[in-house]
Amino acid sequence: MKTLVKKVFRVRELPVFLALVIVVIITGTANPEFFTLSGFQDVTLGVAVVATLAVAQTLVIVMKHIDLSVGSTIGFSAYLIGDASSQGHGFWYCMGLGLALGLTVGTVNGFMVAYLRLPSLVVTLGTLYIVRGLFNEVAGGNTITEDMVPGPINFMGLNTFFGIPYLFLVAFLLMLVVGFVMRRTRSARDLYAIGSNLLAAELGGIPVARRVFLAFLATGAVSGLAGAVLLARFNTAAANSGNGLELSVVAACVVGGVAIAGGVGTVYGAVIGAILLQAITMALGALGIPQFWQLAVNGTLLIAAISLDRYLSTRVKPTSIMGAK
Amino acid sequence: MKKKYTFGWDQGVSVFLVLTVVVGGFISEYFATIDNISFVIQDVAEIAIIALAMTYLIIAGEIDLSVASILSLTSATVGFLFRNGTSFEVAIVGGLLVGLLCGLLNGYLVTVIGLPSLAVTIGTLALFRGLCYALLGNEPVNELPENWIVLGYENIPGTFLPWSAIPLAILAAIAWIVLHYTRIGRWTFAIGINPEAAKFSGIPVARMKLGLFAMTGLMSGVAGVVYTLRFASASPDGAVGYELSVIAAVLFGGVAIAGGIGTLWGVLAAVLSLGAIRSVLQLIDFSANALLVVSGALLLISVVVPRAIEIYQSRRKSAFVTKI
Repeated sequence: MKTLVKKVFRVRELPVFLALVIVVIITGTANPEFFTLSGFQDVTLGVAVVATLAVAQTLVIVMKHIDLSVGSTIGFSAYLIGDASSQGHGFWYCMGLGLALGLTVGTVNGFMVAYLRLPSLVVTLGTLYIVRGLFNEVAGGNTITEDMVPGPINFMGLNTFFGIPYLFLVAFLLMLVVGFVMRRTRSARDLYAIGSNLLAAELGGIPVARRVFLAFLATGAVSGLAGAVLLARFNTAAANSGNGLELSVVAACVVGGVAIAGGVGTVYGAVIGAILLQAITMALGALGIPQFWQLAVNGTLLIAAISLDRYLSTRVKPTSIMGAK
Repeated sequence: MKKKYTFGWDQGVSVFLVLTVVVGGFISEYFATIDNISFVIQDVAEIAIIALAMTYLIIAGEIDLSVASILSLTSATVGFLFRNGTSFEVAIVGGLLVGLLCGLLNGYLVTVIGLPSLAVTIGTLALFRGLCYALLGNEPVNELPENWIVLGYENIPGTFLPWSAIPLAILAAIAWIVLHYTRIGRWTFAIGINPEAAKFSGIPVARMKLGLFAMTGLMSGVAGVVYTLRFASASPDGAVGYELSVIAAVLFGGVAIAGGIGTLWGVLAAVLSLGAIRSVLQLIDFSANALLVVSGALLLISVVVPRAIEIYQSRRKSAFVTKI
């Protein structure tokens, strides 16, 4: 029994989860509407996009890398899916287009980071601009409207499965799958090894370049497919879709205990982090606090989360922008 | 003994700047006109001013993503104070103080609490931007005193330079001398190359980093004042996304993201090149999207080319070794 208690308290995701519970209880007590089904649906629907991307981003951050290009990729993909659908192409063709875009961006990122050994921050900042520029050129002033959205995507954006929005289910299933893979498979465990000590991982015989490449490829692929989630969520897409999402995604991961210094964190944490940030946004509204404070509160929360993590962990003091060397 | 001449990336960027200007002059006759040069300088002034500070920070192995939010918070503070009846001069001083405080907060969290700057400044990016909205709500302040906002759109009498060229030139000169010719500059490089070694050789690493963050905050504040005057308005949603433009310019200028490498004039050349390219693209009726693609491609080239040379040289060296 004692070991069980100890084990529970050692769970990295516990502080965020408790914070989430506290936010929900406080808000719910002050405004009972928050506890209703529609309150639940607001939060889960609102979090779907960031949660999906946060799951993918976790793969990269545990390796002590970062992928800033996801916001551009998901936006472009959402537009491509809507555009292809409006030209009469079928659902799977549209999804294939989104996936192809994601794989392309992932390949470029992965090749440069893994095989050319270039810093991921610089590479993905570059691809962020390139993809956004191409996207804006293709989209121009066009907007994807509701009638251009493929049927299944439209359906998933508007409907729920026994009260749970389909989009949240997508994110949740993705989390379960990736969470299982990251816990149980050897190649995904290698990502943690790469993130906690690159040199040791290399000397230990891990094919580092291949692992890093595949992780970036996977992140790209998920971002590409997630274009459908973004499109379903807003039922529209235009040249500014997904703009700035990358920082919200990284914030969700960090709040959820996926340390920017690499080597620790789980997709469950990342998703809880995303839900917490979303719940606070909704809570401010429910408590009647002006929306203006929302960003400030989210920022403070992010800083508090990493400070707490720093306080609880015994890791060495960070010395570089990505944390401990 | 003949000094071995090495061709660095920063020289490459300077050559690139000259090429851009020459090619730009050929492409559009309007490009090299006095009006357009004034416009380009005005256009890059804020990014250039912040890039000066960001150069130090990245060389020292840190980063600040909150600069655009600090810029905007300074602007919002100026607007807020002025709207509430202080004189505009006092409002500007207040805005600059807020910028400095923001930088100090970043520095405190990084050096005293020991948090990674990338994560911290994503947090303060949201925090400072949120405070802009908290200060101004959704209403921008537009009624700024006329004698101040002429500085935003008029040139210095008798020249083709905009007023914003003055703070830019002074700050660039100071930043250049301090980085390359003083102890503080050498310390900055030393910290970026190896913070551990820097600490053991007696450099006050934490205090230096705190100072660099504070300076970045203050410079973002200066950029905020320039921005406010240029648009004759203080709004809560100004300069969104500038942080990535600043970082892209600094990295394109040859500063290594891992720290320890970079020159100030490389960065200035990069900022001006990007401004010149934007102007050329606009003049030949290219969309702004092309600029995004070009910025991204240049950023990638700035890391790929040095690495390709490195790989090529190490191959040649190892081939030599095996021959022996």
